[in-house]
Amino acid sequence: MSQPIKCSLCEEAATVHLSQVVHGKVTKVHLCEACAQKGGATDPAVFQLADALTAAAPAPALTCPQCGFTDLDFRKRGRLGCPSCWETFGDALGGLLGKVQHEVAHVGRAPAGIVPAGQLRRRLEVARQAMTKAISVEDYEAAARLRDEVASLEQQLLPS
Amino acid sequence: MSVEDILAAENELTHLLGAQQAVVLSTRIRLARNLDGLPFPGWAKVPQRKEIADRCITALEGLAKFRRGHVLRMGELDDRDRLVLVERHLVSKELAAGKSGAAVISRDQTCSVMVNEEDHLRIQVVKAGWHLRGTWHIAEQLDDALGGSLKLAFSDRLGYLTACPTNVGTGLRASAMVHLPGLCLAGHIEKVTRALNQDGLAVRGWLGEGTEAAGNIFQISNQQTLGLSEEAILKHLGGWIKNVVEQEWNARRKLAQEEGEKFVDRLARSLGVLRSARLLTSSEAMNMLSHLRLACDMGCLPEARRHLVDRLMIEGQPAHVQARAGQELDSDGRDCRRAAVVREALKNFPELTAPTA
Repeated sequence: MSQPIKCSLCEEAATVHLSQVVHGKVTKVHLCEACAQKGGATDPAVFQLADALTAAAPAPALTCPQCGFTDLDFRKRGRLGCPSCWETFGDALGGLLGKVQHEVAHVGRAPAGIVPAGQLRRRLEVARQAMTKAISVEDYEAAARLRDEVASLEQQLLPS
Repeated sequence: MSVEDILAAENELTHLLGAQQAVVLSTRIRLARNLDGLPFPGWAKVPQRKEIADRCITALEGLAKFRRGHVLRMGELDDRDRLVLVERHLVSKELAAGKSGAAVISRDQTCSVMVNEEDHLRIQVVKAGWHLRGTWHIAEQLDDALGGSLKLAFSDRLGYLTACPTNVGTGLRASAMVHLPGLCLAGHIEKVTRALNQDGLAVRGWLGEGTEAAGNIFQISNQQTLGLSEEAILKHLGGWIKNVVEQEWNARRKLAQEEGEKFVDRLARSLGVLRSARLLTSSEAMNMLSHLRLACDMGCLPEARRHLVDRLMIEGQPAHVQARAGQELDSDGRDCRRAAVVREALKNFPELTAPTA
């Protein structure tokens, strides 16, 4: 008997077989019933996820130093091993993020006590504009205060 | 505290303690969070999962929101009790399927946190009716409180780090459970679903991913979690829900107007069957209860009866029927018991009148 085809997302035997033709090239995705059902085989995100998994042909093996998770594990599971994996696989995941999320950078909230860089950059931009304006109207007291704020924000934005 | 206490307690989804509404049954906010420095549950070893569970549960028990609440470890519950929690949307099927997961549930059942599901923490807040801002506000406070006692995995560039790339960033999934019998009857539901999908929203069935839309109930949620602020995600979903609710009302009014007596007849027949059937399957009950809910919304039945219909939708599910019966029942036994519960609940229901809405 021939070997059953394995699911592209886990190790189970695949029972759902999807074929997609893009620019004349046929891409096949095999899913077990659970994975197909879990994502909803009609869910476009699953198609995109599956696309990214199958398109990312033989990639150089990467291993997370924190938890030992590898890029091959990711291809099997579609999930990462630990928070540090995001650093290890960050660059490799860039394309996938662009596909499933359409964006690659966070702009939302942060845990208490952490100010995200995006927010700091916006504040820096505002402070710089205010400083230029203060100088143009010769309000040197305000300009000096803003200069200190700009310097402090620039300091915080330096890579640690 | 046990699953029995959860079943016995009155809560706003089953007992009209909140504002029950036409079309939108409930609003849900879910936040995915993880502890810094520990593997995600799917990759963690058994002792690590235990450490994760202990740390998360200790932190959650310390929060005012969960005072006198429930801590339920999946490994200590039998199959039926775990299924009851799934049917009440307090935990996911995935959490219920494993042994190392736990759920911490607030006393009023509006807040539940799944521990060791796909992520270390899945914070959920559910309110009856359409209350996107209020629901978000509770989740935000819970998230802040939790972040005060646990160091959460967060990256400056990618936001909250999650096991799956589809949740990274805000980790926010905002959704509305909507009842769309008008769009289903009019045959417009596929068109609406397609439009929602194309604009980045997912449409799922009553019990979430991969489930059927029993009782014309759908869950509509955002898909993108990265590169949009929480505010933008909520605004996008809110705009679409408003639009869907409007379309649903248009479809209902058009049907009622065009069909006249046939419209009321269809709903009245469902009441007739529910009031006298001796055997009711789960999906049969859901679809007929959907007609009763529509009748309440349209003024064919008193609006005050709607909460009873909502309760029967929840309590007519298989594990709930068995839990109420206090025994294991086979499929026929469940259908018989379900029919008895529904007959009893509807015996004083008034007859339908012409729509007023």
